[in-house]
Amino acid sequence: MSNNLISVDNLKKSFGGLKAVDVQELSFKKGELTSIIGPNGAGKTTFFDLISGFQSADSGEVSLKGKNISNTQPYKIARMGMVRTFQLTKVFDRMTVMENLLFSGSNINNDSFLKSILKLNSQKLYESNLKDKANQIMSDLNIGHMADSYARELSGGQKKLLELARSIINEPEILLLDEPLAGVNPKLAEDILSLITKLSDTGITILMVEHNIEAVMKISERIVVLAEGSLIADGVPNEIRTDTNVIEAYLGKADE
Amino acid sequence: MLDQLGNGLLLGIIISVASVALSLLYGVTRIVNFAHGEIIALGAIATLFFSSPLDYRVLFLDKFSPLGLNFVISCILAVLVCGLFGGLLEVFLFRPLRKNDVGNIAVLVVTIGLSILVRHLYLLFATGKVQNFPLELQRRQTYLFFDMTPRNLNVLIIGIIVMIIFGLLLTYTRLGKAMRAVRDSGELSSVSGINSDNIILITWISSSMLAGLAGIFQATINDVRWNMGFLILLLIFAGTVLGGIGTSFGAMVGGLLIGIMVQVSVGLPFMEGHTEAKNAVALGIMILILLFRPQGIFGKKERIS
Amino acid sequence: MTSAKISFRLIFSLFVTAFSIYLVFLLNPDGAPRILLNLLTFAGIYGLSAIGLNVHFGWTGLLNFGHASFMGVGAYVTLLLMPHAAGREGEVTTTGLPFFAALILGIGAAALFGLLLGLPAIRLRGDYLAIVTIAAAEIFRLLVRDLESITGGVYGIINYTDNFQKYRPLFIDNFSENLGFSPSQAWVCLAAWVSIFITVLLLKRLSDSPWGRALRAVREDEDAVRAMGKNAVWLKLQSFMLGAGIAGLSGVLLAFNYGSLETTVFIPLLTFYVWAIMILGGVGTITGPIFGSIIFWVIISETDRLAYLLFENANGQQLAGVRFLLVGVLIMFLMIFRPSGLLGKKEELLLDVK
Repeated sequence: MSNNLISVDNLKKSFGGLKAVDVQELSFKKGELTSIIGPNGAGKTTFFDLISGFQSADSGEVSLKGKNISNTQPYKIARMGMVRTFQLTKVFDRMTVMENLLFSGSNINNDSFLKSILKLNSQKLYESNLKDKANQIMSDLNIGHMADSYARELSGGQKKLLELARSIINEPEILLLDEPLAGVNPKLAEDILSLITKLSDTGITILMVEHNIEAVMKISERIVVLAEGSLIADGVPNEIRTDTNVIEAYLGKADE
Repeated sequence: MLDQLGNGLLLGIIISVASVALSLLYGVTRIVNFAHGEIIALGAIATLFFSSPLDYRVLFLDKFSPLGLNFVISCILAVLVCGLFGGLLEVFLFRPLRKNDVGNIAVLVVTIGLSILVRHLYLLFATGKVQNFPLELQRRQTYLFFDMTPRNLNVLIIGIIVMIIFGLLLTYTRLGKAMRAVRDSGELSSVSGINSDNIILITWISSSMLAGLAGIFQATINDVRWNMGFLILLLIFAGTVLGGIGTSFGAMVGGLLIGIMVQVSVGLPFMEGHTEAKNAVALGIMILILLFRPQGIFGKKERIS
Repeated sequence: MTSAKISFRLIFSLFVTAFSIYLVFLLNPDGAPRILLNLLTFAGIYGLSAIGLNVHFGWTGLLNFGHASFMGVGAYVTLLLMPHAAGREGEVTTTGLPFFAALILGIGAAALFGLLLGLPAIRLRGDYLAIVTIAAAEIFRLLVRDLESITGGVYGIINYTDNFQKYRPLFIDNFSENLGFSPSQAWVCLAAWVSIFITVLLLKRLSDSPWGRALRAVREDEDAVRAMGKNAVWLKLQSFMLGAGIAGLSGVLLAFNYGSLETTVFIPLLTFYVWAIMILGGVGTITGPIFGSIIFWVIISETDRLAYLLFENANGQQLAGVRFLLVGVLIMFLMIFRPSGLLGKKEELLLDVK
């Protein structure tokens, strides 16, 4: 229990009669880089939604750092240090790249109405530090030249980068990445993969849903396989590669 | 309270027919049509224009005289006029907006502008006076346990028949099935073989014809006013929402229920001396439904938040 | 690049506004100052209201169609807290708070009503929120009309203007006398434009601030706001309260401009007027509604003349109808051909949301 950062106990969710997620027991340790894979409709994104609070489970429990977070508001979960990205990239379209980052990096205290109307010096100082931090991250991710562009003007891959930049500006303990490589050109995918590895090396716990199996095999320390909402395999990449359940699940899908 | 049931049924049938029309249009096009009330009023005003005697000089700034046609023929013509109006709106306004990828919210604001424009055109041409169809007065009679005039009973029966026929058309014809497919999936591309522009056009026409019929009902039961459509619009929204947005059967029942609730609420003890607030009851119910059971009574569960 | 573009738009808007005021003089050889004062008073009041609406829609993306009720709550609460007469018999209430205390409570009540109306926004999106807010505003209006013993119902409230007019400085009277103005309207006009000035300063401070940035983020994508650990609901409610408070103030000014208050003032058409002004000025801008409002009211007040020409035997109600008709045309025209209005940025065009 103690070194499990996230644990899931008997988590169930269905839509209508369709079982979307049904996971008995699953936990993730601090610092792990885990990929969650599975055929389409396996419930991967729903699983992310459940642990990040964007959907509430029918039954079961999710705990984060030993605290039960089932039925906790998403923003509260994010404040506990678990930040997610989305399958369909969500950036703030009609705000500049810089504003996207500043908003994400700013804490709620700094966002307060009162502070904003009084324009306290402490807020100015906070903002200028934040700006430095945002510039640093943008240059690390090679989007510094886009700082003043509206986010809607970015390419799909650049939006993925921006979303990633936004997620790490507050130095989260846990990062949930929902298909970080989807729709990204191979060159940029390389960069994103090495960024994820780098983040993992700094001690951030990463959970990633990704369809690009090759990439998953390359960088994951552990792979969890879901099919029809249930856990069918869990292990290091080499085990998963040869797991008969997994092969069947994927072949079954090819059969359709 | 029961003495209001007859009035409730009559108001209910107006809202019901209009709600079915609104719901169909919303289902297929995703347009929240604030100008729906104006199409309703068009049904009434056109009927008035066709049927009033030639020497009736109140209308149209004395520039045009009414046609003095037979009342039933006038009603049929008026419904056709409404269908034509709806079709023209689609072809010359909403289709170009759709082709230019104008967002739903912008279209909603356009329908508000349209509603204001058309409503005040009516004020200009049909005057601000309250007017009546050229029909003789009738006495109320008791049917089962409610009171109404024989004519209003006919309105009720016609309304129910029209909705049954409409429901059958929607269920059993190829076009009706296509409309429902578009409505249920929210995807125009889901229908193969039928041009989606045509489906939308026919939706506009049929929705407008139904709305025009509702207007004729409203004017027969009550009277003709230039702003009659806008006055009833929010109740129609309420009926649509109550039954479940996007279901025709739901809109039908929801509309009837809203009508009955509005009229019957007059008889509630705490409403004594507060008859003005009766619409507030229906609107309050609508808000509560949207908040706590947004799919309405009959709607399928759908995420709307 | 953008700042040059913005200043061009600003100059263009100033020019159009100045031209429309010039038009008033051109069309009214006699009595132009009086007409202009009336027009500028309404423009100030409605412009203020549109500035509030812009906080809701332009900044936060909230589709509020119940704006008239915020103005109404502000007006009714303020007036009823002061000495006034109300109802069919004109029942007199002689005790009450001084104007400024009542005003602050009125604005506070409007903000609280904003909070109440904002609650549905927690769960509902776009068009559903529009229907709920317009319905809630109608419920408010129907209840006010019905509670005759308190609000005066359809008979309205009278005899309250002195509470405010007694603060009128002497120079207004002197000034008005020279130009043939009504001094009491001149005082309301001044109050409206001072209110706009203060509100704009306030909002300018807020728009560049982290708080304003957070509202815009909510407008763009609520889920992403939540994922960043921010409470989107609370931000939306704050936005509702601020905009409603501003609308409340404008409602009070409107009541003082009319001199008597009836529920018919707060029909949905009032909301649509304010929407038209906001769109004309530029959704999401701060000063846009000011220009929008002046131009709007010049159009409104000069159409009567046009209507006379077009329809020689129309009655007063119908002539008034012509201006409403024009509002409808204006809304449609703007939405279709220039949704960013006078000052809005095309890049931040808000109305193309799907």
